[in-house]
Amino acid sequence: MTSTSAPDNELVLAAIEQVWGSMLFATADPWPADQPADFGSGVQAQIELRGDWNGRLVLTCDSDVAAQIAGAMLGAGPEEVLPALDVHDAVGEVLNVVGGSVKGALEGVSALGLPGVTECTAPPAPGDCLVVSWRDAPVYVQVVPDAAA
Amino acid sequence: MKILIADDSKVMRQIVLRTLRQAGFGHHDFVEAVDGADALDKVAAEAPDLVLSDWNMPNKTGIELLRDLRGGGSQVPFGFVTSEGSEEMRETAKTAGAMFLIAKPFTADHFSDELSGMLG
Repeated sequence: MTSTSAPDNELVLAAIEQVWGSMLFATADPWPADQPADFGSGVQAQIELRGDWNGRLVLTCDSDVAAQIAGAMLGAGPEEVLPALDVHDAVGEVLNVVGGSVKGALEGVSALGLPGVTECTAPPAPGDCLVVSWRDAPVYVQVVPDAAA
Repeated sequence: MKILIADDSKVMRQIVLRTLRQAGFGHHDFVEAVDGADALDKVAAEAPDLVLSDWNMPNKTGIELLRDLRGGGSQVPFGFVTSEGSEEMRETAKTAGAMFLIAKPFTADHFSDELSGMLG
């Protein structure tokens, strides 16, 4: 089923659930709104969608969470420390696959960009994004239309 | 057989390799390329028996790589492993000469289904 409007949370959540299950071997449960979470330094990945709808998907998580996600993708041991480059690569690829699923469900979206990953110091406001759990921590996913940039 | 894995994500190249091993193809030889341009060079230098390529890559996309290979006379078996799996892309891939398109996220079964006949 396809949609011509901006990707809604239901669509994005379905893509996240698929990626969490098949690439990270975890369940993407909703993060309880009233549950506090630590956020020291963070990692933020972005990927652009171009076509009838233009904007980007943004995934933000704590750096420790990013390292855990990379470790899960690579089958790393619990004590294994991955290079920051690999951690950024892994988080970008998670968003790339989410973006690919979202693009496929949006009629008229013709292009998916390459993921970019940077470090950040704070998570987005919970009201502005979809918050899902990774183990015992939150991962924030935003749908940002160009007009809101 | 020698298999060339082209993806600008090192992590994804490692995941493709791990999944190929899970699918029972670990006894083959593997070569990696970091983008389409690198893959084009390595097809010439390494003469792989199969190319597994991402679609969206810097320098040269996967579809550009495939068209360059076919335009240059190479008939190396070629399959896409990419985050997008729309019917339009599958048709574009097939028209350009790809054998198959595996969409991420994938499982070992996806590789088994597409490659068992060729790789054994």
